[in-house]
Amino acid sequence: MNPDYSLLIPEYILAVWAALVVAVDVMMPKLRRDVPAYLAALGALAAGIASVLYIDVNKGFEAIPGVTIMHVDDYTTYMRVLLCGIAVFILLMSAQFVRMRLSHAGEYSAIVLVATLGGMLMVEGTELITSWIALELLSFCFYTLVSFARRELRSNEAGLKYMLLGAFSTALFLYGLSLIYGVTGTTTYDGIAAALSNRGEDLTLALVVGFVFIIAGLGFKVAAVPFHMYTPDAYQGAPLPITAMLSTTSKAAAFALFFRLFTTAFLPAHEEWKWMIALIAAVTMMWGNLVALQQTNLRRLFAYSSIGQVGFMLIAVAAATQDAGSSLLFHMAGYAVTNLAAFTIIVVFFNREGSDEIADLAGLAERQPFLALAMVTALFSLAGMPLFAGFFTKFMLFVSGWDAGLEWLSGVAVVASLISLYYYLMVIRQMYVIAPRVPGRFRTPALLWGVIAVLVVGVFFLGIWPAPLLDAADTAAAFLFRA
Amino acid sequence: MSVSLEHYLVVSAVLFGIGLWIALAKRNAIIILMGIELMLNAVNLTLVAFNRFVTLADGRPALAGHVFVIFVITVAAAEAAVALALAVSVYRTRSTVDIEQIDLLKR
Repeated sequence: MNPDYSLLIPEYILAVWAALVVAVDVMMPKLRRDVPAYLAALGALAAGIASVLYIDVNKGFEAIPGVTIMHVDDYTTYMRVLLCGIAVFILLMSAQFVRMRLSHAGEYSAIVLVATLGGMLMVEGTELITSWIALELLSFCFYTLVSFARRELRSNEAGLKYMLLGAFSTALFLYGLSLIYGVTGTTTYDGIAAALSNRGEDLTLALVVGFVFIIAGLGFKVAAVPFHMYTPDAYQGAPLPITAMLSTTSKAAAFALFFRLFTTAFLPAHEEWKWMIALIAAVTMMWGNLVALQQTNLRRLFAYSSIGQVGFMLIAVAAATQDAGSSLLFHMAGYAVTNLAAFTIIVVFFNREGSDEIADLAGLAERQPFLALAMVTALFSLAGMPLFAGFFTKFMLFVSGWDAGLEWLSGVAVVASLISLYYYLMVIRQMYVIAPRVPGRFRTPALLWGVIAVLVVGVFFLGIWPAPLLDAADTAAAFLFRA
Repeated sequence: MSVSLEHYLVVSAVLFGIGLWIALAKRNAIIILMGIELMLNAVNLTLVAFNRFVTLADGRPALAGHVFVIFVITVAAAEAAVALALAVSVYRTRSTVDIEQIDLLKR
C-alpha cells in the first residue's frame, strides 16, 4: 500500500508557504520589511487550521509496508495546533523587530515556518531515523535564526556556541540510538518496545549506556542541567523573538519527542531510565531557579527560569503515566502562552528602549501601565500563583509525579517553585516600586497591544477555566497509552 | 580468529572517546568540529557493524542501519557547512575562533 500522503497536509502547507514567502520577498524588493512576517503568520494559521481537521484521525504513515515512520493521532494534532499557534505569535511579534533591526526579512520568516515544520515532524515521528532527522531540521533552523543578526557580534557568538554544543549533543544522541538499534535490531518505536519487553537479562548494560547517551542528547535539546551551558548565551545573543521561540517551540517539540520516545518505545525498560530522568529533573529545577536569582539581564533571567520549567516538565517524563502525559501537554500549552506574553512585552520594550536589562524596567508601571500589568500576569503565572495558568498546570504536573511514586521529586519541585517566586517578584518590584530612570510615558503599538491582550486573557482563561484544554490534553495523552 | 561484533564495537567506542575528548578539551572551534565529526563516524561504524550482525525475525537482511548511516553522513556534511559559515562570520569580526576569547556573552 502506498503511504497516505494526505496525513501530512499541514506540513506541506508550511513547506510551500515558506518557499512562497521567500519568493515574494525576492520578487518584490520594495516590499516593506514587516510584510513577510505577516504573510508567514497567515501560513502558520492555515497550517494550524488544517491540523484541526485531523481530530480523531488515528493512522500511521507507512514509508514501506510494515514500517510506520510517522503517526497522526490526537497527540500529534494537539502538538501541531500548539506549535502552529506559537509560530503565529512569534511571527506577529517579529514583524516590527525585523523591520527595525534585521535584514533578509523573507528568509527569516520562512525559516521560522520551517522550524515549526521540523517541530511538527518531531511530534509525529515513530521511528528513530525520522524523529532524529526532524530534530536536526528544527536544530538547523535555530542555529541559523540565533545568528541571524549578521552584523551583531553577540548574535554570531551565540550562534557559534549553540551550534557547536548542538552538534556535540547530536553525536551523543546518535551514539545512544545506535546502541538501542544494536540491542533491539529495529528502529521503529513499536518494534523497540516489543524487543524490550522480551529481552534477555544480559543486554542490560548496553541498554543503560544507550539510555544515558540518549538522555544526554535530548537533555541538551531541552536544556536540562548539566547540559544547559549554552542556554543563557543563546537566549541573550539571539534576536529577541527567536529567544521567545527557543523557549517555546524548541522546548515543546523536544518534550513531545522525548515523551513519545520514552513512553511508546522505552516503556518496557522504565525501571532502567526512571531514576536517571528523575535525578536530572531534581538538579535542573533547583539549579535553574537558584542561578536565576542572581541575573541582571532579563533574557538571562528568562533563560534560567525556562531551565527551571524544564525541570518541572521532566517530572512527567520520569513518571511516564497517562496522567503525567496529559499534565505535560497541558503545562506546555500554559507555559507557551505565558512565555509568549512575557516575550511580546519584552519585544515592545526593546523596540522602544533598546535595552533588556532588568534595571531599565524601573518605573514601567508609570511609563506604560498596560505593559507592566501584563508582565505581572505573566510572571505570576510562571511562578504558579492561583488564578493564573501556571498554578493549575504545575499543580497537575506535581500530582502526577506524586502518583507515579516520585513523591520526593514533587517535594523538590514545590521548593523550587517557591524560590522562583522571589526573582519574579524582584522584576515586579523594579516595575512598580523603583522610580523611572527615563521619564515620559510611551504607547504600545496597536497590533502588539492586541497580541498581548489576547495572551493575557489566555493566561487567565487557562487559570480559571482549564477544563476544555485539559480534556483535549487527556484525549491526546490517552493515545500513547492505548495499547 | 575472525573479526567479531565486539571488535567493531570496541574500535568505535575508542573512536567515540577520542572525539569526545577533542570536543571537550580543545579551544579552537574548528578542532572541536573535527572532534564532533569523529564522534559521528564512530556512530556510523557502530551502526554498520550492528547491521551486519543483526538478522530480522523473518530472515531478511537488515537495512535500517545502512539507511541510518547514509542519513548521518548527509547531516554531518550539512552540519559542517553551517558551523564553518558561523565560524567564518565570527572570525571576520574577532579575528579568532578560540572559544575562550569569544566571551561577550558573560555576565
